[in-house]
Amino acid sequence: MKGWKKVLSKPSVTAGAFVMAAGLLLFSGVGGARAALNYYSETYSGRVQLQDIGVTLTENGENVSWRNYTEDGSWDQNTGTLLTNLLAEGESVNPGQKYDEVLAVKNTGTINQYVRVSVYKYWLDADGNKMQNVSPDLIDLHLTENGWIVDENSSTPERTVLYYSKLLNSGETSKAFADTLSIDPQVATKVTQTTATENGYTTITTTYDYDGLQFCVEASVDAVQEHNAEDAILSAWGRKVSISNGSLSLN
Amino acid sequence: MKHKNLILTALAAAMVLTGAMGSAYSYFTTNAEAAGAATISLGSRTEVQEEFSNWTKHVTVTSTEDSEPVYVRVKAFCGSEYSLVYSDSEGNWTPGSDGYYYYTPIVNAGETTTNLDVRIENVPADVKDAESFNVVVIYETTPVQYREDGTPYADWSVKLTTGTTEGGE
Repeated sequence: MKGWKKVLSKPSVTAGAFVMAAGLLLFSGVGGARAALNYYSETYSGRVQLQDIGVTLTENGENVSWRNYTEDGSWDQNTGTLLTNLLAEGESVNPGQKYDEVLAVKNTGTINQYVRVSVYKYWLDADGNKMQNVSPDLIDLHLTENGWIVDENSSTPERTVLYYSKLLNSGETSKAFADTLSIDPQVATKVTQTTATENGYTTITTTYDYDGLQFCVEASVDAVQEHNAEDAILSAWGRKVSISNGSLSLN
Repeated sequence: MKHKNLILTALAAAMVLTGAMGSAYSYFTTNAEAAGAATISLGSRTEVQEEFSNWTKHVTVTSTEDSEPVYVRVKAFCGSEYSLVYSDSEGNWTPGSDGYYYYTPIVNAGETTTNLDVRIENVPADVKDAESFNVVVIYETTPVQYREDGTPYADWSVKLTTGTTEGGE
């Protein structure tokens, strides 16, 4: 121990360690740059190809929310609102009726990517507070499961996590992960009755339990690079996946 | 000198660690999200109006401004010695096999049905007191139901599920 201390305390050893550390740091930087060059050399077409990642959530073919890395090093982003065109002006939601709600993901970056979507559905009371005692199952956002894999381990009655099984190429739009939205007609049958007797007359007042409640749908899209995707997904999303020939499966 | 060595060693360690961190966060990721909500409006409030003239009851049903769309049906009762004849100049009321007359159009919030005329027949010529004729009109409404394609329909067998019942004097 004493001998080690003596060796380590020598200025030449410390300086040597410092030089090695600097070398390691530089080497790791060069390694990253080399990996990027290797990857993009395949699509090199005589101009500078930038590594811009970007993703957009679409609703019925329209861009709603996006976050795209731009050439100038900043993020072009927008958070939109779903269901804005669900009803015509003055129209109210008809329980039982199926409304078009086609949700998909578009790759709006310049690199290919893998994507996943977390879909949430829940109820709010008239004051906007989340209601825990009302079933999200009454909100039927129909999931196509066409090209999308449900991650059962991460899903709850309120949240469904979906992974797109294919690589989403730059500029490509995924298959829709949802196509229709309807509210279970049962909401129109659940009531609370209050009975009051006054002057010999009994009055029964019926109140609909779901009257005035808001149903909410939320979609959150995550995208990750194609390169080293298995490690990238584990690191970014904490989920082990396998990728073979561009096809993703859950472990 | 000793401190200088320590500082250099610490700096070297920090550089190595920083290099490792750089590779851990080098993946390209992005995300986008959106949410939306819509309000459910349920519940109906309707009132029946009856006008009496020439031994005929003229029945209409009105839906209040904040009511959801409903279908309406009406039935009238009287003593067995008299009979009732229904008529409808607009052609909106349809007789059912259960004795009810069904109003074909949907009654939206704030709307009123057209008249359903219920005439009392076989009234004796010497009757002067109309009050002695007890004709009772019953009307019912049911919220409009919708098929998946949005086509409206009436389901008169819908049963309400009561959550809680509160009593009072």
